[in-house]
Amino acid sequence: MTTEDWSQREVVLITRPAPVGPPNPLDALRDVFSSSIGMATYTASTFASLIEQTVTYAVTTSVNAALDRLVPVIADAIIERIDLTDVVIQQVDLNRIVNSALDSLDLTQLVIDRVDVNAIVAEADIDAVIDRVPIIPLANYVIDEIDLPQIIRDSTSGIAGDAVSTVRKQGVGADQLVARLADRITFRRRERKLDAPGEPLA
Amino acid sequence: MTSFREYREAMASGQAVEYQGPLLPSDALAFQGDRAGFVSRTVAAGIDVALIFILVLGTVAVFWMISFIVDPMSPGTPVTPSSDRVPSVGIMILYGYFLNWAYWTACWATTGRTVGNLVMGLRVINYKGGRVRWVGAAVRAAFCTTFPIGLLWVIISGANRSVQDVVLRTSVIYDWAVTIPGFGGLKIADPDSRSHE
Repeated sequence: MTTEDWSQREVVLITRPAPVGPPNPLDALRDVFSSSIGMATYTASTFASLIEQTVTYAVTTSVNAALDRLVPVIADAIIERIDLTDVVIQQVDLNRIVNSALDSLDLTQLVIDRVDVNAIVAEADIDAVIDRVPIIPLANYVIDEIDLPQIIRDSTSGIAGDAVSTVRKQGVGADQLVARLADRITFRRRERKLDAPGEPLA
Repeated sequence: MTSFREYREAMASGQAVEYQGPLLPSDALAFQGDRAGFVSRTVAAGIDVALIFILVLGTVAVFWMISFIVDPMSPGTPVTPSSDRVPSVGIMILYGYFLNWAYWTACWATTGRTVGNLVMGLRVINYKGGRVRWVGAAVRAAFCTTFPIGLLWVIISGANRSVQDVVLRTSVIYDWAVTIPGFGGLKIADPDSRSHE
């Protein structure tokens, strides 16, 4: 039932006159006795409450003060006596903690955001690193892998050599073209026998 | 000595081929030693003839200048026409033919190449594949000078040979690598020499 319902309700009070009779001394005595007991009870409870509060306050403050002094000393003494590191290492699964921490971090991004990699590289002793790299075997390997003589051969000797090669190549191309045309006109099927007995001048 | 044929066969079979000295473009290796075709040879001959022509013109100029020392012009004497001061055209043509013959003879007998051959990467060889002798070179040069049309036979011939080549058993081959005799050339790698390294 909500407050609204209460407000809409009407309350009707009906009074009845108490019965009037001759005073009873026993009743008066009972009233006095009960009042006295109620008074005593109330006083006692008040005193009890007062004492309880006082004691609580006193005890709390004194105990707190004592604890404030004692706890650091005791804690220090305990810490002094215990090898915390050892305890942690023995009792705690460090791997799990570290792994879970690492899992929740994007380390690469963290380094990129927070670390000045250029500064580190600038400080690094590159020469020492290079000293440790087997450059000669590396160079030999590269030279072995690439066909260096062929590259030199293809690059020939300068622009003049290129021009001569081009003219010669065009000559050879034209030779073959003319030969093919002539062969077609004369209905020659066999390939031309171009094998000369020559050998390279050496 | 490695012949061109052996060299090409070695190339085709994937055998290592050593190059010493001359550097050739890789796409030109395939036809080295083949008999050259008509265009290359004509261009080479054209270059040679042009050189000889310039030489003849130079000779005429020198003759003309010398004529003024021998027969100076003096005031009062009638002007001698220039045609009187230089040899006649007929003599110059004969001189040109002679020069051409001598030039080809000397070139073919010594290196196998004229300047035109050098430009086009050609070389003249005899039936053994070696250099033509002096007499052979002289005969071939005379034949070529007097009968240049013989070169046309290269087009028809089944072996890229001119009339001169057929008669004198010579060949003109592609040989781009100009080498000094005894210093390098194209060689098939000797497997034994490699294993000893």
